[in-house]
Amino acid sequence: MTNGWVDIKNADIILAMGGNPAENHPVGFKWFIEARRTRGAKIVVVDPRFTRTAAVADYYAPIRPGTDVAFLSGIIRYALSTGRYHEEYVKIHTNAPFLVKNTYSFNDGLFAGWDPATKQYKKDQWGYEPDAKTQAYGVDPTMQNPQCVLQLLKKHVDRYTPEMVERICGTPKDKFLKVAEMVTSTGNAERVGTVTYALGWTQHSVGVQMIRTAAMLQLLLGNVGRPGGGVNAFRGHSNIQGATDTAGTFEILPGYLKTPQGQYQTLAQYYEAAVAMPLNKQAWASMNYWVNYPKFMVSLLKSAYGDAATKDNDFGYAWLPKVDGNYSWMYIFDDMYRGSSMRAGGKEPGPEGFITFGMNPVGLGPNVKKMIAALSKLKWMVVVENFEIETASFWKAPKEYGGAPASQIETEVYLLPASGFAEKDGTFTNSARWLQWKWKAIDPPGNAKTDQEIISRIFLAVQNLYRKESGAVPEQVLNIIWPYTNPVSPDLAEVLKEMNGKALADLKDPKDPTRMLKTAGQQIDGFGQLMDDGSTMCGNWLHSGVYTEAGNLAQRRSTADPTGLGMFHNWGFSWPANRRVMYNRASADAQGKPWDPTRVGIKWNGQKWVGDVPDMKPDAPPGTYGAFIMLPEGVGRLYAPTLADGPFPEHYEAVEAVVDNVLHPSVTSNPSALKFSSDKDSLGKREDFPIACTTYRLTEMYHYWTKHHRDGVLNELQPGFFVEIPEALAKEKGIANGSNVKVTSARGSIEGVAMVTKRLPSLKADGKAVWHIGFPLHWGFMADEGHTGPLANFLTASVGDPNTWTPEYKTFLVKLEKA
Amino acid sequence: MTTQPLEIDRASASPFGRTTGLRAKPTVSKYIDTTTCIGCKACEAACQEWNDLRVVNTVQDGTYQTLPRLDADFWNLIRFNERTADDGGPMWLMRKDQCMHCAEPGCLEACPAPGAIVQYANGIVDVDATKCIGCGYCATGCPFDVPKFSAKTGKMAKCTLCVDRVEVGLEPACIKACPTGCLTFGTKESMVALGNARVAQLKDLGFKEAMLYNPEGVGGTGVVTVLGYGHPEWYDLPVDPHVPWGVRLWKQVVRPLGAIAAAFAVIGVFAHYTQYGPKEVPGSAAEPGHRDEGRRA
Amino acid sequence: MTVQHVDAPIIAARNRENVIVEGEIVRHRRLSRWIHWSVALTFFVSLFSGMPIWMPFFGWMAALVGGLESARIIHPYAGSAFFILSIVQFFHWLGDMKIADDEKGVWWRPSKLWAYMRYEDDRAVAGGKYNPGQKMFFYAVTLGSVGLLLSGIIMWFPEWFPPIVRELSYLLHDITFIFFLIGIIFHIYLGTAAEPGTFRSMTRGTVTRTWARLHHPGWLRQISNTENRKD
Repeated sequence: MTNGWVDIKNADIILAMGGNPAENHPVGFKWFIEARRTRGAKIVVVDPRFTRTAAVADYYAPIRPGTDVAFLSGIIRYALSTGRYHEEYVKIHTNAPFLVKNTYSFNDGLFAGWDPATKQYKKDQWGYEPDAKTQAYGVDPTMQNPQCVLQLLKKHVDRYTPEMVERICGTPKDKFLKVAEMVTSTGNAERVGTVTYALGWTQHSVGVQMIRTAAMLQLLLGNVGRPGGGVNAFRGHSNIQGATDTAGTFEILPGYLKTPQGQYQTLAQYYEAAVAMPLNKQAWASMNYWVNYPKFMVSLLKSAYGDAATKDNDFGYAWLPKVDGNYSWMYIFDDMYRGSSMRAGGKEPGPEGFITFGMNPVGLGPNVKKMIAALSKLKWMVVVENFEIETASFWKAPKEYGGAPASQIETEVYLLPASGFAEKDGTFTNSARWLQWKWKAIDPPGNAKTDQEIISRIFLAVQNLYRKESGAVPEQVLNIIWPYTNPVSPDLAEVLKEMNGKALADLKDPKDPTRMLKTAGQQIDGFGQLMDDGSTMCGNWLHSGVYTEAGNLAQRRSTADPTGLGMFHNWGFSWPANRRVMYNRASADAQGKPWDPTRVGIKWNGQKWVGDVPDMKPDAPPGTYGAFIMLPEGVGRLYAPTLADGPFPEHYEAVEAVVDNVLHPSVTSNPSALKFSSDKDSLGKREDFPIACTTYRLTEMYHYWTKHHRDGVLNELQPGFFVEIPEALAKEKGIANGSNVKVTSARGSIEGVAMVTKRLPSLKADGKAVWHIGFPLHWGFMADEGHTGPLANFLTASVGDPNTWTPEYKTFLVKLEKA
Repeated sequence: MTTQPLEIDRASASPFGRTTGLRAKPTVSKYIDTTTCIGCKACEAACQEWNDLRVVNTVQDGTYQTLPRLDADFWNLIRFNERTADDGGPMWLMRKDQCMHCAEPGCLEACPAPGAIVQYANGIVDVDATKCIGCGYCATGCPFDVPKFSAKTGKMAKCTLCVDRVEVGLEPACIKACPTGCLTFGTKESMVALGNARVAQLKDLGFKEAMLYNPEGVGGTGVVTVLGYGHPEWYDLPVDPHVPWGVRLWKQVVRPLGAIAAAFAVIGVFAHYTQYGPKEVPGSAAEPGHRDEGRRA
Repeated sequence: MTVQHVDAPIIAARNRENVIVEGEIVRHRRLSRWIHWSVALTFFVSLFSGMPIWMPFFGWMAALVGGLESARIIHPYAGSAFFILSIVQFFHWLGDMKIADDEKGVWWRPSKLWAYMRYEDDRAVAGGKYNPGQKMFFYAVTLGSVGLLLSGIIMWFPEWFPPIVRELSYLLHDITFIFFLIGIIFHIYLGTAAEPGTFRSMTRGTVTRTWARLHHPGWLRQISNTENRKD
């Protein structure tokens, strides 16, 4: 989230789209209710289903799954054509006035630079046009130049008329216009709106572009950086934000530093590729905060290798593992299944072993049959879990999923009993980026161990083997420091201290060398004190400030709120730097005066910025730097020449869709979408599979996990798998509520209880009646007796977004029959 | 049902009451705002866990609603109702169903077992399982279909409004668990005030028919419910609930009249005997002797 | 029932009915008496298990059946048994209870009943073995037991029935019971204190000629004739 949970109460309009917060985030949803109850805020829901959120919303509009870009682009067009956007904000806080090179173009569904051979874009044709004199970004303050971002955007979204939105999304024109009118009512200084989303946007082959469209809309409306505004992603697990911050995926190191690639042999080469350098010499300058990247990186290396990391050896950069391929989910399983992987351009054997913690891969990945086949090819697998989940017993799957007698499975499976969240202390980082300490409530049962103990024991054993027997590049393992009081089971408070970072040598104030900031060994106050000379260490620069000499700030629980806006600066710790609203410089105008004096993010008092922790150099007067300090442009991007699939979002149908793209039938789905081509990767045709299908979660269950809760109340509350079917479709097919139905995709078929409902609409896409159905994804074959059910992902396809490689779980094609 | 210090105001089948009347207790009430209920069922889980109720073996039969109706092992149920709105779009109404803790409880009126259903001084209506005989009359007396017979225990069971928690100054478990704040707990007076304020706000926000459900027919309820739409029946609530006339007629008219009639019958035969004496042939008072001659071996 | 070979004519005769043996008349053979007392027993068990539930005033009766909860458990079974036996009784006596032509339009008149109770109008009872009042009671008992059963089943399994049906069943059960109770009070009174010599007809089965002449002269005539013919 750019803002935070509590901050939602400050909104006037809340657009819930691409997510079902009442269902999946019921506790945080209280702030929606709070906004509605205390300030008469309106909740607007746009969703393929009339959800629990819609049930308490002020307005609901249906939408065909996977067409959100068109809907949001329609609102952008509406805002631009009616003038219902925050022009002053747009001028100073976005790249709307920036000029784009005339090599940029968009024709018939493709942007300039498309390479049909690699199925990728050459992005250099999308760059900005430098100012001829200064060589800085070319800008037209009047925003009239046809090559300026605003004009290009107008042109790009011009096709998304209300009629076109209806044709694409199926949303009746009047409903679309009502939503557009409500949402754009915040396109001014007086009002603020927020946009909330979750996996309903992420899990599409155009997922990133959906989110981008929302971000652009929010920039246009002047809602980014303001209390009650922002673009707010709701994370699915209690600590998924923390996991992502701490290198949750293969392409990032802690703090979103980039994982080195094999081609970058030295730190210098690595920096050059990793750090964006501004083309920026103009008056409205950018801090481009990433210029501090080396400080974060060196401090990270120091935290890993300790004294062994010196300036002379590039702080041990050479020992850091490099990636030379894609290790995201679908690639891992594709490699595993095919038994070979592409690395550094050459073919190598696929993975032979697999360790999985705190997740249920067989349930959560797409195309389950392929995953079970892949796991069957492993030599060994370690599952660290609280329960005997589907993954730990994948061969027990029904035969049609690829289950087989244990005697036919080569894979040696180890199930290590792990402790649950209440059985260990540590932090949760919530969607609002708040690190909140939690205390262990009970001991783990039996021989179950904490994750940190399991990892430590494995690591220490491997390190010991290297020490005894050596091996290839032993220093890579031997030089890792493990400086915990109890190395076998590190205290997580010590780990948090390490992530916060400390001074390794005395730190002098750069402005006043006579003043000592920190003496060697002291915890640093925040990432501002990090150095690139090896005199500091820090496990995660973004979390720096959480555990200072003042103690563990994640344990703070003060409800004092002098802002009155629910910022609670002394509750836990919010990264970065305890800032509660990101980009909060944009909450004020060019002079540093808040757009809305009742909802002050920060304001300039003549000497410094006050209010929230400023997302700005605290003493830099207005006009010194742009509000978006992490971007080289210094302003918010309405035009993003960095993404894989285009600088502007474009409506593409899902890879499996019920209709062709009416805008450009020849490029119907995202041309850059990720696809796989093994014999288990099949896509369905709409002639065979005429109904769109989507998957989702239920508030009563927790992912692929709680159904295993033996004799649990949750199995009582949601006893079994079901398929939600629109009333009219059920009537057409003669399906009675509560009867059994069979849903089939190109990957396989599953059976479940029909839930015939008014909550799924029948829509018209391009004038043709189309249907969508859906089902929740919690069930599996290892659940408590009487509560087993099919794995939803048996039907989903291994296709995904080209930027994040996230699978397209939210739209695929099926056929529906009586079972 | 917990322990003795609770101040009992009224008890079933106890014409002379059992009130001790010592302590002054304000009437308490739950407040439910259906316009902010998301049907998350946290209250259901909290109720099950706090009251240590057994897990009911539910089955998915085509609805989000956990059970078709309340159960002896399930005292708190979110009811889900789908409707078609005036504009043709869907509506999904959710309401927390549980004992309404009526001021004039039909269950208590119908109950024949002395003290099996009590109304505490704070308005909570509770079942004392040690006195309940499991006849099920309370189920008929209740206009909200709340008390349920447990085959396991042979007793009736229902929501206690967490009287054990309330008595020590805690809110009921369902209230504690509610994530959106749609549930609140306090004195009846303050909850009605809150409800009226919310209804006024809803009317401003466009819910023209919004209403506070606190039906007079049962003297008001210990659960006041804000309805966004002024149609209680849309939420599976009776529009005008009252103790069923059959039960009232039975308990208040037929039963006493019957008892009087029976008493008159006894008096009548006594009077008859004193007036007319036995009917026999004059002078033949002696009956013939017993002429059984006994068996022969 | 097996008939034992006995010499004593009166004992043997108690298995027959409407016979005169040595000055006594067998009014109710053994089977009849057993049926009657079975009905009576189940009635009293139902009564003592039902009345404490009916009204707290009669709560003390629960002690006779082991407490109020036992009363609730026993009552429906006792009631069912009472119904079944009532039906057996109904068919057992149905032949005797046919309403004779001359009784039609007469037997149910309250004035007749009143006169009877004042021992004034003996013609009302001149008919057969049973007088119209007894026949009326016989049919009322049977009808009442049907009413009690139907309403009782609804009260026994309330979850199967809608509330309105349950409410009506409470009323029906109650009203039927009250009439029943009043009827039984009179029945017992007439069978014991009010008409001496009657009670033994249900214990030993026999009555005296004097009794028969007083209460059922028509019946005495009939069986005397039969006796004569037989002899």
